[in-house]
Amino acid sequence: MMMIVVTKEDFSVDSVLNELRSREMGALVTFVGVVRGHSQGRDVDRIEIQVYEEMAKAQLKAIREEAMEKYGVEDVAIVHRYGSLKISENIMMIAVGAGHRSEGFEACRFILERIKESVPIWKKEITPEGDFWVEGEEHGRKG
Amino acid sequence: MKIEVRYFASIRDRIGLDQEEVETPSGTSLGDLYDKLKETHEALGEWNSVLLAVNGEYMEPDQILSEGDVVAVFPPVSGG
Repeated sequence: MMMIVVTKEDFSVDSVLNELRSREMGALVTFVGVVRGHSQGRDVDRIEIQVYEEMAKAQLKAIREEAMEKYGVEDVAIVHRYGSLKISENIMMIAVGAGHRSEGFEACRFILERIKESVPIWKKEITPEGDFWVEGEEHGRKG
Repeated sequence: MKIEVRYFASIRDRIGLDQEEVETPSGTSLGDLYDKLKETHEALGEWNSVLLAVNGEYMEPDQILSEGDVVAVFPPVSGG
């Protein structure tokens, strides 16, 4: 089972969904994040993603379990890439298998927001004007 | 006791270090260790907000460290 994957390789949305499907599900809600070609008024050539892999996997696993319990959905798969990514390439995917659409959408949104708050992954934008780390808002513990 | 400190993202680039081993007295808290790191790496003062984890979990500054702990120091995350 590949429910939580942190990888350099690209992924197939279909493969992830096919692995998730079960007869209890009436909805597969999917979010795919991709590389945008501009950011804060600058063109972006590509991005580099760095990850603290052991911690990221543990955090993703905890978020998956929290979402399944909170929304009562059947199953959740999360895939996040790292390394050098070109414009429009897949960055990450969340797939929620739910009995019905409503809890599926809510769980998917919840998972995405939690990833943006707490999973130790960072993007660096490589642009014609230089390289810029993207830093999220502070949500965790302060040093 | 020996603590392994790992740095990530913009902080790693700015101080030019992936990781280092730091010797601290037993009973040192995460906050004490971070104050010590700020003395060694003054550039850490440039961040308004830095996140700290011990052995892969977010911890409060009053957390007491143990021999061999792995402390991670990083800026707010931007995955997703």
